[in-house]
Amino acid sequence: MFGFRLAKRDQALPGGQVLAFGIGLIVALAFGAVLLVVAGHSPVEIYLKMADAAFGSPQAWSTTLTQAVPLGLAGLAVAVAGSMGLWNIGAEGQIIAGAIAGSWVARLGPDLPGPMLITLMLIGAAIGGGILALGPAIARAHLGVNEIITTLMLNEIALRTVRYLVNGPWKDPTSIGFPVAPELPEQAALPTLFERADISVLIAAAVLIVFGFYAARSKWGFELRIAGSSEKAAEYVGISLKRKILTVLVLSGAIAGLVGGLRLGATDRIVEGVAEGWGFAGIIVAALALMRPSGVAAVAIAFGALRVGGVAIKGQGVPASIAEIIQALVLLGALGAAVFTTYRIVGPKSYSGGDATSRDTSEVTS
Amino acid sequence: MIIAGILGDLQVLLTDTGMWVNLLEFGILLYLAALGEVIAEKAGVLNLGVEGMMAVGAMTGYWAGIQTGSPWAAAVIAALAVAIFAMVHGVVSVVMGADQVVSGLALTILGLGLAAFLGTDLVSQPAGAKFANLSLGQLSEIPGVGPTLFSMDGMGWVALALGLITWFVLNRTRAGLNLRAVGESAATADAAGTPVVATRLVAVGIGGAFAGLAGAYLTLKVTPSWNESIVGGLGWIAVALVIFGAWRPGRVLIGALLFGGLIAVGPRFQTRRCNGDEITNCITTEINPIVVSMLPYALTIVVLVLLSIRSRNRPSLAPAAIGQAYRREER
Amino acid sequence: MTAVELDGIWKRFPGVIANAGASLTVAPGSVHAVLGENGAGKTTLMNVLAGVYRPDEGTVRLDGVEQSFSKPADAIAAGVGMVYQEFRLIPTFTVTENVALGSAPAVLSKSSMEKQVGELAERFGLHTEPGREVWQLSMGERQRVEILKALWRNAQVLILDEPTAVLTPNEAAELGRITATMAAEGRSIIFISHKLDEVKTFCDEATVLRGGKTVASSLSVDDLDAGRMAELMVGEATAVSQRRVRTTVVGERVLDVDNIIVHDIHGRAVVNDVSLVVGRGEIVGIAGVAGNGQRPLADAIAGLRQASTGTVSVTHTDITGMDARTRNSHGLAYVPEDRIGVGLAPRMNAIDNAIMRNYRTLGDGPLIDFGQAESRAASLIERYNIKVGRVDQPLAGLSGGNLQRLLVGRELDDEPVVLIAAQPTRGLDVQGVKAIQDILVEQASDGVGILLISEDLEELFALSDRLLVMHEGAVVGEFDPDTATRQEVGAAMAGAHASEGSAH
Repeated sequence: MFGFRLAKRDQALPGGQVLAFGIGLIVALAFGAVLLVVAGHSPVEIYLKMADAAFGSPQAWSTTLTQAVPLGLAGLAVAVAGSMGLWNIGAEGQIIAGAIAGSWVARLGPDLPGPMLITLMLIGAAIGGGILALGPAIARAHLGVNEIITTLMLNEIALRTVRYLVNGPWKDPTSIGFPVAPELPEQAALPTLFERADISVLIAAAVLIVFGFYAARSKWGFELRIAGSSEKAAEYVGISLKRKILTVLVLSGAIAGLVGGLRLGATDRIVEGVAEGWGFAGIIVAALALMRPSGVAAVAIAFGALRVGGVAIKGQGVPASIAEIIQALVLLGALGAAVFTTYRIVGPKSYSGGDATSRDTSEVTS
Repeated sequence: MIIAGILGDLQVLLTDTGMWVNLLEFGILLYLAALGEVIAEKAGVLNLGVEGMMAVGAMTGYWAGIQTGSPWAAAVIAALAVAIFAMVHGVVSVVMGADQVVSGLALTILGLGLAAFLGTDLVSQPAGAKFANLSLGQLSEIPGVGPTLFSMDGMGWVALALGLITWFVLNRTRAGLNLRAVGESAATADAAGTPVVATRLVAVGIGGAFAGLAGAYLTLKVTPSWNESIVGGLGWIAVALVIFGAWRPGRVLIGALLFGGLIAVGPRFQTRRCNGDEITNCITTEINPIVVSMLPYALTIVVLVLLSIRSRNRPSLAPAAIGQAYRREER
Repeated sequence: MTAVELDGIWKRFPGVIANAGASLTVAPGSVHAVLGENGAGKTTLMNVLAGVYRPDEGTVRLDGVEQSFSKPADAIAAGVGMVYQEFRLIPTFTVTENVALGSAPAVLSKSSMEKQVGELAERFGLHTEPGREVWQLSMGERQRVEILKALWRNAQVLILDEPTAVLTPNEAAELGRITATMAAEGRSIIFISHKLDEVKTFCDEATVLRGGKTVASSLSVDDLDAGRMAELMVGEATAVSQRRVRTTVVGERVLDVDNIIVHDIHGRAVVNDVSLVVGRGEIVGIAGVAGNGQRPLADAIAGLRQASTGTVSVTHTDITGMDARTRNSHGLAYVPEDRIGVGLAPRMNAIDNAIMRNYRTLGDGPLIDFGQAESRAASLIERYNIKVGRVDQPLAGLSGGNLQRLLVGRELDDEPVVLIAAQPTRGLDVQGVKAIQDILVEQASDGVGILLISEDLEELFALSDRLLVMHEGAVVGEFDPDTATRQEVGAAMAGAHASEGSAH
């Protein structure tokens, strides 16, 4: 059109992803404002209310961080696989599997002391999530079966498994009609950290920091990055891709499973909606963070705030789904904007000859 | 003894007219959505937004049904609305070249959110229009197929016609040849003069329109009511169906009827279970309906693994360029 | 009257002049060979004729009418068809669908279209099955589908880019009959080749390019023999490149390759019973036209590709059963042909790429000592004069010369005993080439045994102690660069009989 076209940049625009995120956020808030006006609300008022609910007090911060925990860990789970070019779309199901395994463990030891029970519950949850990822991992590594679809299908199977459990074998006989499992032992509840936040905030922070450090600094993480950058380069230096795929997908599932365990600690029993979209939200978080743990933490807090804000404005008669809409739009806006971090618009004048200087190394430093 | 029991149960289920009616309803719904996804994927665009597109279609169709009072007008409005909505995925993943997986999932989340947001007031409202069963005179009198197949509503016939048209266009026209070429190798299609981006956008739009029809059919016939969790995984089954049916309109139809059957049968293991005094014309086998509802997903995984094994020494049945953004190389 | 007339064609790319006033004249109803070394500008010239590139200067005439193609579709409409070396077919489409793609009727009738394609094929003796899917076909059959695609669009000029490279001898002979049939109908065929025997059998006339210019136009193939052809292609020994002082005393054997056979996925032996040795401090050059087994040979030695039979030893240790990593730790370094994506990971930074081979030894336990890594990278960067800008940025923006120095430097960092260098200077500018060649010579002087695979004869003559020639997967000749002529080596590369070329 008018001779304009996109030309690849030699180097991605520095800070481009932050810029893209910013553009996405603006697009999303603007569109959200339109929706709010249509629904008869003042966008400024609503947005201020959301911000206040998310950041306005220590209590607000505590709820925001509580929401950021599952987002961050689910995002990390997706990012671990994504850093190798694999898509774990099954975090949602792995969270459920983790919750099932965790509550199974917790039911086994009602008399154990709290710290021990919680530890076992969380380990069980991680194992549960890992097990659900094992099938897709083996299928991908050894048969080349696309992991996107297998993990996606397992989400629905996990959802129906927990539905089956809380409607059948695990149904709380004292709850009339409501399909919920009995409450977990009291000492399985996670201790409070501050205000409404429990220690899951610390656990998530620790996992993100430890994993972020390990991925960046360890030989294992280095191999992961080579495999993510180029499979042929990985083969060239003698990295076993099959083993990498297996370990990475199972680890990804285990991290998602841990989310399920932590949610048990927060909700004191397993319910059908235990995953409540955290796994899918994790995909958005990871994609926006470009599969980097540090970015995952930042995006998780931002989206945690959105969720808290979304709940807070329910009282104003605004559906909480506005938070989901804004999240999805931030991602879509950022995805669209990201094209300009790797491409630039070239006017009709400069044709192929104009790229001659791009080979020059001097551009790299500028 | 056990075999006799199972055979008896099978007879109970197969002679249950209500089961067949439900099977057709869910089959039609799944077929419409899956057919749209076939078109998009044949052009090389994976769209994981079906669940969200169906939600938007279901909400819009329900709303339009109340406004217009006509199920057909409502279905057309829903189809158009979702075709436009699907362009979000088209622009982001096809024009801008973003990852199709992420963009499609974002579309699902956006669609579910938008439908919930805009449909808040619809939850309490009764349906304004419904698809009515279509009597085919004498044909509808035939025992067996009469009250089921030959009494289904117009959308059922529309779905079958769309399936036939889709098959014909894909396999027997220049437009279909070009579309499939774009999905197999965008560069080759481009070299042969096919506009890659435009073809993909059209395919995504048609896919959206079909998902919109499916959504409208859900709220104007199957339920008929609206709430924000009404789609409840049907969109994912549609995505699964495309693989189950190996990207072929005919096989996808068989899969849609099979999966529709599983959805229809499931609850009957509970509602028609033999209890105490009633021992004839009821089901003795104890299967939890929830377990039955897992089967479509489990079967899809099995089929996917089999397809992978099959394509070890031959090309995969999946369109080769699926998931790949295309941008012409500049020299 | 001429069917094709290319006159004074110039085409410049950043840093490269691909065509410098090249010309070509093809008579109607003839098969015309275009000859030249790699980089002589043949493919660029043909892409100008096929509408892929617009020439910077010069004219294109078809049947005397000047043409201005802005896209391939324009050239197709004007009757020019091109069959590329890498086929542009859709494997899951049938022959008929592939042929018709882009010029199909609005509604397709399967049977009548298959009949039409079948008839067209029969008319030109192109044996094919119109209803079969392309993935089931042999390479020869696929090529016939490509030719059919051009004929379907009624191409009067058909360009075949090294068409016999993927064919068996029988298939090649059949192709010769097909081109003769097409020429008999009055169409013109342009046949790009390196092989003298097929040029002499299949073609009427030949035009030779060298350095982007036409050095001989429309020679009758009867006037062509191996010596003359090689002379035209590689030129007289014009620019005498700086010959390095050869190692007079070659040390012990450091690389032993015995009877290696490598099969491709179609079961063809792409490396056919190759044996060679490299001594300490020796540079052994491998010459050959691209696609004659050099790449799979290098990959098989480095452990990236499985050899069907044969053994590889480094300093008398049999490494045949080892994976790429273990071979590397036994002192085998490899600079692969694809420096980006295989040798280097483009999305990682300079430090990461610098330590890709030896990261396991940097730091005890599971963590990498990045302090050590940085100093390793810094010393490489300094020693090999690599301009990287920022070391923490992805490599993607670096120039070819800098990338290659980084890759070569890294491979030499652990002091290997053997270095396999595949096309180490391809695509580099003059200084870049010199820098890499200097490194290779210096390393050989330090005792590293080097297997140098190159398509640049000048480079091979300047650097090698011994020169092997590969043709169709086999080593067909061995030469002493001090005594052999380029013509002799060129003849062996073109497939002249091995006995003629051997200079033992």
